[in-house]
This record gives sequence, C-alpha cells and structure tokens, in this order.
Amino acid sequence: MKSFRFHLIFIVAAMVILVSASASAGGVKIIANSSVKADSVSADELKNVFLEETSSLSDGSHVEPVLAKGGAAHETFVKEYLGKSDAALQTYYRSLVFTGKGSMPKTVGGDAEVAAYVAKTKGAIGYVTSETSTEGAKTLQVK
Amino acid sequence: MRRAIFYFLLGCVGAAPAYLPAQDFKVFDRTVQVHGFVSQGIAYSNDNNWLTMQTSVGSYSFTDFGANASMPLTDKFRIGAQIYDRNLGQLGRWHPSLDWAVADYRFNKWFGIRGGKVKTALGLYNDTQDLDFLHTFALLPQSIYAIDLRDSTIAHEGGDVYGSVSLSKKLGTLSYTGYAGQRQDSHYGGYPYLLKGAPALINFSSYGGLQYGGDLRWSTPLKGLLAGISRMDENIDGYGTTTAFGPLTPYHEWSKADWTNQYYGQYAHDKLQIDSEYRRYWRNQEIYSGAFSVQTDVRGWYVAGAYRVAKRLQLGSYYSRYSIDVPAQVGLGVPAESGHIYDKVVTGRVDLNRFMNVKVEGHFMDGYGLPGYYPSGFYTVDNPQELKPDTSALVVKTGFNF
Repeated sequence: MKSFRFHLIFIVAAMVILVSASASAGGVKIIANSSVKADSVSADELKNVFLEETSSLSDGSHVEPVLAKGGAAHETFVKEYLGKSDAALQTYYRSLVFTGKGSMPKTVGGDAEVAAYVAKTKGAIGYVTSETSTEGAKTLQVK
Repeated sequence: MRRAIFYFLLGCVGAAPAYLPAQDFKVFDRTVQVHGFVSQGIAYSNDNNWLTMQTSVGSYSFTDFGANASMPLTDKFRIGAQIYDRNLGQLGRWHPSLDWAVADYRFNKWFGIRGGKVKTALGLYNDTQDLDFLHTFALLPQSIYAIDLRDSTIAHEGGDVYGSVSLSKKLGTLSYTGYAGQRQDSHYGGYPYLLKGAPALINFSSYGGLQYGGDLRWSTPLKGLLAGISRMDENIDGYGTTTAFGPLTPYHEWSKADWTNQYYGQYAHDKLQIDSEYRRYWRNQEIYSGAFSVQTDVRGWYVAGAYRVAKRLQLGSYYSRYSIDVPAQVGLGVPAESGHIYDKVVTGRVDLNRFMNVKVEGHFMDGYGLPGYYPSGFYTVDNPQELKPDTSALVVKTGFNF
C-alpha cells in the first residue's frame, strides 16, 4: 500500500512538472515580418536583439524588436529569453536611453497589437502567445 | 519640518501627470525619440550640514533635470544628445551642461565605436549616477559615487570602443569598453567649492585633462551574477588664481599620478538585487605652481541590497565605508592624517506609476572625512561650528521621467 501511494505521488508530481514545462516552452512563439529571410533564430540571437546588442540575425537580416506592454507572453519571454524581470528590463532600457547608449524599443499593447505591428513593419520581430493569430507574419523556430 | 515634507510630497504627487509617454516624431522617415527626467529632494540632518546644503535646518536645494533626443541615421548608426542641470546646495547652481552628445556606430555585437561627449564606464553606476529613477536609493553610496565629485568621472570628450563576446553557454559573456578623452570639470563642483575657501583660496578658471581607461564585465553562467573591473588614468591640470599668499597670483596644479581602480559584483534574482563595489583612488599632484607636492589616497566600498516586496514598493539598505589618507606632505609641513565616513542606510521606494517615484531614506553616518583636504560631503565653510563626529540625515526625494 505504501509503495502504491509512493508511486502515485511520484506519477502526479511528474505529470505536474511535465505539464508546466510544456506550457512554458510552448507558451510563446516568435514572429517576424515577412521581409526577414531567416526561418529560425537561436535563443542567444533573440537575447542580443532584444537587449540591443545587435540589430541583425546571423543570416544578415536586419531586425527591430517590438515588445508588448504586459501580458502572459511578455512575462514568459522576458523571464525565459532575456533572463530579467519586467522591472529590470525597463531599468535596462532606460539606462541605455539616458546615457546615449541605446534607444527605447517599440512597445505596443498586447498580443494582437504585436502581431499586427510585426505583420506590417519591415524587419519587425516580436513574441506572442502560441494561440495568437499571426496572419501576415512568419513564425520563427527557436533553435 | 515635518509639515514642510508633507506639503512638498503632496505638491509633487498632485502636480505630476499620471501618464506621459515618451515623445516620438519622424524626421526623414527616421524616428526621433525625446526623453526627460526631473527629481526634487529635501534633506534634513541633525547637526552637520551635508553635501553643501544647509541640511541642519532642512534644505530643498536638491533639484536636477535632463532631457535628450536621439535618432538612428542608419540601422547601425545613431546620434543623440542630452542636457543636464542641477542645483544641489552650492553645486551646479543652475548652470546647464551638455551631459552627453554622441555619434555611435555598432558594426556588430562584439565591436562598436562612439565619439563625442561620452558617459564614462566606471563600475556599476558611474554613467547612470544622475538617473535617480533607475536606482532604489535616493543617494548612491557616497564612498564610491560622491555626488560632489560627479564632474571628475561622469564623462569624457573623446571616444569609446565597446562590444561584448559570448564565451560559451558554460562561460557566459564578456563585455568591454575602452575609452580616451578630455575631462572638463564644471566651475560648480565640489573640488572648486572646497578650494575657494580658506586656507587654499584658489579660484579655478579651468580644471581638467586627459582621461583614459577601460571596463571589463563578465556576465557569469550563473544567471543574474555579474562581476567586473574598471581602471581609469588621468592627467589633470588646474589653472586659476589664488590669494593664499596675499596678493592675487596665478595658480597652477597638475597631477603626476592619478588613477582609479574599481572592482564590482552584482547579483539579481527575481525581486532581489545585491551590489558590492570597491574603489581606490590615488592622486599625486603638484600644487601652488609646483611649490608643494600632495598625495591623496581614497578608498571606498559598499554592500547594498534591495528587495521588491510589492509591485510598487521596494525596500533597500546599504553599508558604505569611506576612508581617506593624506600622508605627511613634503613642503607643507602637514602631519599625516586620515578620516573616514561609515554610512548605514535604509530606504523605501514607492513607484506611484511607471514614470514617478518617491523615496524616503535614512543615513546614519560615523565620521566626516577630511573636510579641509578633499571633498567628502562635509565642508568646513558650511560648518563654521565644529563638525560633530556623527550625522543622521533624512532624505526624501521624488522623481519623474518619460
């Protein structure tokens, strides 16, 4: 009986971990304007682009990041891809802006606005939840 | 005094707009961004006057503001400029300055160049020390970021090379900055203010010189952990006049050796941030046109922690330790002396919205440095009475940025 209970707890715990892992991994998709040649992007490239350390992908495509003001996709993307909290990211951008070392990236309302902006803006790259309709934009695979 | 603080805060909060986005507009299809900030503080201390303000009776003379505009000219080339002004007791005195004005070309991630008047990379916060809204604390640790010596490190007219290199996932990222240029101090900084008074009686017409150095910072593979080292060398000349020997005579001082070493670390995880830095500043200079030689050895370090306890509330504390040694001076007949300031600080920061904050900060200081020799926040001219060994100070500050 003891053994059965142990196995049950183990299975439930494993399922919870698997479900939460797949939810965070599949929660966000990276989208880009159709002018961007690349079909995939590495996590490092994404970080470099969104932290304004580079303005192009490894294939030479020029990209401009667009951020959401908040929401689930924003929270996940900022934490998992940039390794920062939203407050720390805002501080980072402001330190660039007020020391002459960068500019404030384009920021729009939420998933729908990000998708619409990326679809119509040459070189734009952004993130939305997996369920968001992204007609007119291409989805990039994260390597 | 309490009533004054209350009305001061009430006025600031009531007058501030709840929402003011950055102002963007297009020029030749390129977006120009305009940003700005302003902060207003009030400082009150028990006995000693501090930071050139009459803090013993409460001082509102604690204001600064800046505004900038920048735009990309191409995908890799960007220009911009910022003006800055402050009135902090006897510092700044509402004389605006060009804070930075840069043209920046970034070839790729690992190499870029920028030129013009450039903010100097030195430790964690040298280039952002004026930007109150970026920091938990109303005053950064004065052992390293002395507000009265801002001019000496804040920017150089010259150029930088910079970039970052990903070592590997196991080794993290290295970022570097190398720079060279001219430093030109304001007439309204702490050093000119100190030397205007007795016994030096020096009035500078210019103070500055060559400044060069570098910064290397390592974002370690441990998420949120950063470590770095900075070095600055200087070759400084000050010209002016003095009445120290009676009649008005020309004055010149120059450095024979002038360097700063700084080591720092930062750990940020979720709502917690811990910073620590150590700086040593060494100066060997000829003063009174070569009549005397003076050495100054300043060491400072601090440990700071901040935790966001709620979305809009951050609490922080730091311990800052400053010491200065003035060895026996050749020709001056001055005995060896040393001074210190040990500062324990607690802070609460409330973010009223994304653009505005209020900070309340307590300082509990032991010592006052060496007021007659080198700026350290306490000045003889501001404290004609005997300086007391301990100082407690309350700083309330509010800031707005867009």
